[in-house]
Amino acid sequence: MPDALDSTSPPVAAAPAGSVYDLGYRRYEGARLGRRQAISALYRQSLRSAFGLGRTASAKVAPAILIGVAMFPALVQLAIGALVSGADFEIIRHDEYYVIISYIIALFCAVVAPDVVGRDQRSRTLPLYFSRALSRTDYALGKYAAVTTAVLGVTLVPQLVLFLGNALGTDDVRGYLEANAGEIFPITASAVAGSMLIAAVGTAIAAQTPRRAFALVGIIVAFLLSLAVAGIMVAEIDTAVTRWAIFASPFSIVEGMTYWMFQGTTEGGDDLTEIAGFTGSAYFIAAIVLTLACVAITVRRYRRLQA
Amino acid sequence: MALISTANLTKRYPAVTALDALTIEVEPGIIGLVGANGAGKSTLIKILLGLLPPTSGAATMLGYDVRTQGTVLRQFVGYMPEHDCLPPEVSATEFVSHMGEISGLPRTVARERTADVLRHVGLFEERYRQIGGYSTGMKQRVKLAQALVHDPRLILLDEPTNGLDPQGRDEMLELIQRVGREFGISILMATHLLGEIERVCEDLIVIDGGQLVQQGTLASFTTATATLEVEVDGDPAPLATRLRSHGMTVEAQGSRLFVESEGEPPYDLILDATVESGLGLVRMQIRRHSLSDLFRGTDRAAELAVAERLDA
Repeated sequence: MPDALDSTSPPVAAAPAGSVYDLGYRRYEGARLGRRQAISALYRQSLRSAFGLGRTASAKVAPAILIGVAMFPALVQLAIGALVSGADFEIIRHDEYYVIISYIIALFCAVVAPDVVGRDQRSRTLPLYFSRALSRTDYALGKYAAVTTAVLGVTLVPQLVLFLGNALGTDDVRGYLEANAGEIFPITASAVAGSMLIAAVGTAIAAQTPRRAFALVGIIVAFLLSLAVAGIMVAEIDTAVTRWAIFASPFSIVEGMTYWMFQGTTEGGDDLTEIAGFTGSAYFIAAIVLTLACVAITVRRYRRLQA
Repeated sequence: MALISTANLTKRYPAVTALDALTIEVEPGIIGLVGANGAGKSTLIKILLGLLPPTSGAATMLGYDVRTQGTVLRQFVGYMPEHDCLPPEVSATEFVSHMGEISGLPRTVARERTADVLRHVGLFEERYRQIGGYSTGMKQRVKLAQALVHDPRLILLDEPTNGLDPQGRDEMLELIQRVGREFGISILMATHLLGEIERVCEDLIVIDGGQLVQQGTLASFTTATATLEVEVDGDPAPLATRLRSHGMTVEAQGSRLFVESEGEPPYDLILDATVESGLGLVRMQIRRHSLSDLFRGTDRAAELAVAERLDA
């Protein structure tokens, strides 16, 4: 698209006869911010609706509960750390956090993505968007970005709570932060990359249908079925060929990638990624490939949708 | 600069050709786009908005190419679709203001203009209520408001009175008229209801089967020609031949002839020719051309005639 992102001044079109009368209508001759503003407004509004902001109370319930549950393991660790004085042990570790709450992440994505993505299809609002200052691709990417940001609420937020809580629970906060500063990068990187992957899969599925229930079930099935299949192919059948099935499961990819980011290896990690025996960076590459593929599916869907 | 300009614009589907090498040049104003259902009105509007890609040909609006400069162009264009397009669970204020931002308005400007525009369409009191609870007429006003919020230079309306009762229809047409005349916004309004065109529009584009039938001012459609209906008591063929030899355009239908004329109809000549043909004159009646006659002879004429009886 050769469209410039920058703002433009109005074109000079001769006004039709009768425009000399001023009966209260105010023209707007100020700045028009164009595509950039359109994309940013779409992103902001989509993110708000993901958490049910500006909607009825019932729309806020599910996302809020799921974020609360995702936070639970972190709170358990913090509570034990606080109760058992001087304890220096980790029940809940950063690198296995997503393994523990993977079902919650899947559920959160299944609740949020159909809401953010399907709503405009359901109410047939897409023609109003596509006849405005953004392109179909802009729309698709804006929605994807909003879902990704929302998913960070159940990935990055609990991890940060765990990290800061652990720090505050020690006698020497500064010493803890200095000693564990190396954790901050893998915490952030795994949360961002993992959220991008999970959101990409969820958005690609949700974009296919205006029906919320279909999208919700579709996303849960995609995540859990692929995880189950990978489990059977890797742990039960366990041949050199079937082990590749682990790359069909987004959550296994996130697990492998996370262990790799924290430790540089998947050894000592979740048994599935350990059995599969692939090198850690393979999961990172798989995450990038699957993310790009799913985003491409989403963009393609919106480019073809009849509006 | 032309408001809208198309060159050989064509849209083909596997089964039908929706637009067939349409070439039009439209100047700013209130323009009616008239044609039967399936004539290609919606297709044209959607191509102009970039919602549909044309099979071939080119189009510009406000001087911008609709295919390559769409996102810039559409900051200055409003669109009111034919179908429902409003999310039920948000308020009119929230929705219209959001749509203003999607058209490129800064946030505060979008809010201010939303309040203004909702007042203009007569929805000020109800603007914080959820759209889902609105009546059809109110929803239609929200649809108009979202097309106006960013102060476009041109709005494209697709059957704007669809689904409204007679009173709601009157109010909507009045509103559209004000948008065109008082707000100074150019309008392209697609409709198959000729009465609406006659009430609101200054100019007219008639399309059928994806082709341009006629384009001009509203006045040029209703005053340029008249048809004389001549009924005789026998076979009118000899009379038709005689009249044609005088250079008239004659169409036979049973025992009746339709004689086209410009200016004052040639009553005496027809009377003389009837007598010379050995026929008796049963009836001679002048019919001013009305818009619906433009569709005479097309398959869709019947449908139109039912939709609106406009014979003068």
